[in-house]
Amino acid sequence: MEEQKTLFIDYSKCIGCETCEAVCRFLYDTPRIAMSRTIDGEIVPLYCQHCEKAACQRVCKRGAIHRDAQGAVLHDPMKCRGCETKDCLIACPYAAFFATCKGVAVAKCDLCKKRRAEGLHPACVEMCPCDAIKFIDRTAIASLKTEASEEAFKRVMAHIRPKKFVD
Amino acid sequence: MSLSSHTGVMNFGFLQTKNAPAINRSVGIIGAGPSGLAAAGLLASQGYEVHVYDKLPKPGGLMVFGIPSHRIPADRISRGVRDLERRLGVTFRTNTKICCSAPMHEEEGDHFAADILGLSDLTDNHDAVVICSGSWKSRKLTIEGSDLAGVYSSLQFLFPIRAIKYAHSNVSMPDVKGKKVIVIGAGHSAVDVVDSARTLGAEDISLVYRRTVAEAPCGKFEIDRIQEMGVSWLEKRTPEAILGSDHAEKLVVHNGVTGEREELDADIIVSAIGEIPTPPFQKELGLENVRKGDVRWLNMTAMDNVFVAGDVLSGPSKIGKAVYSGLRAARSLANWLDLKAQSREAEYNFDADKISR
Repeated sequence: MEEQKTLFIDYSKCIGCETCEAVCRFLYDTPRIAMSRTIDGEIVPLYCQHCEKAACQRVCKRGAIHRDAQGAVLHDPMKCRGCETKDCLIACPYAAFFATCKGVAVAKCDLCKKRRAEGLHPACVEMCPCDAIKFIDRTAIASLKTEASEEAFKRVMAHIRPKKFVD
Repeated sequence: MSLSSHTGVMNFGFLQTKNAPAINRSVGIIGAGPSGLAAAGLLASQGYEVHVYDKLPKPGGLMVFGIPSHRIPADRISRGVRDLERRLGVTFRTNTKICCSAPMHEEEGDHFAADILGLSDLTDNHDAVVICSGSWKSRKLTIEGSDLAGVYSSLQFLFPIRAIKYAHSNVSMPDVKGKKVIVIGAGHSAVDVVDSARTLGAEDISLVYRRTVAEAPCGKFEIDRIQEMGVSWLEKRTPEAILGSDHAEKLVVHNGVTGEREELDADIIVSAIGEIPTPPFQKELGLENVRKGDVRWLNMTAMDNVFVAGDVLSGPSKIGKAVYSGLRAARSLANWLDLKAQSREAEYNFDADKISR
């Protein structure tokens, strides 16, 4: 099986500069990685983690979400009918589906599918000034985690899933 | 296919897929900060000959000379610059200031400029020019005593810390070891000043802000963090005057809660209350109209073939905004030159371009 690559953001290295969102917006108009400001004022990018067991894939009634050979979870606008219930958007634990006003009305990260086909890395990874975004094999993520990155990740999760993380 | 790896590089040429053939067009870019480097990357990827001019001894702009190195690894930027030079053939002319209406030495970093060119030198030698000169002037305090020794703006304070590496005789580090430092403001540069003062061995640091922590632009998380480091957070205090005979000794503030006047002891006072864009030829370029979107062509100034992008256009913001603006201006420039080459300038549809602004 081919390497299963995904994104990993070390939130303890991220300075909230918005470069990832900016290059994504430049390439795709609706950014698929989006900045969010927490109650405590930390500015963080929310992004698709291309989960091994993807909730979005499970809930989609149209089968419009599938996984490619490299492990990227892709949204297929041909099959998507843009349902009003937006099950995928609600199911995503990382708030990484984005509503648009065009077409099927959702957009998500495809790990820069066309760039990958040309042998390039996702644009956000390339342009991050802080080296906070990695494009790596899923199995290698554990080795990148530090105490600081885990703590910062928890703060982000408490921001996007407040109920679940309140003690 | 193996993915080309650019680990450890801020890859400004991220749009390049394969070597684009040279197209015999030359572009001059003023300023090697995030917007200038992003524009350079896009244009060089499309086969343009790109020259980047910067007044400082090293490309990177405020990513290198403003933001402390614990936030942005400096070598990641310099490797990105080297990649632009070697892989994409971009030429850098550092220590070169493009002359402007404002007197020299008014902006931070001017004293590094060894060579001074006029804008016409660039327009004569290049098919087009992009101005990405950023915001290099700090907003200054206007209260009594603001011109005393020991009073700095955030850039005056932060710039030498990074610039001293280039061993310029005109740069001296602020001497804060063992001193009492007061920082005014609660944005990200205020926090950067606090962190740097602490690293440089300040004895006592206070952060003074006229509003509350809930309104601090840097957010509660950062305020909590610096308080944990032992920094005093003094909110609802409006600076009124700086006292001292020849050197700042006290900051007088009005306490918005008690209504009292307080005198805070200080050896060094740093105001981190924002930066001002520093455009060359503000009027000639009609930047006010570009800001309002009242232009013939996206990001083009009143001068033909002269474009503008980044903080110099929209005021101090964030690296991401500057990058986006630089990329958009570069794309707009390439489209403009293409259409112009066919004498079809009139076909430009500004409203269509506006949709995705």
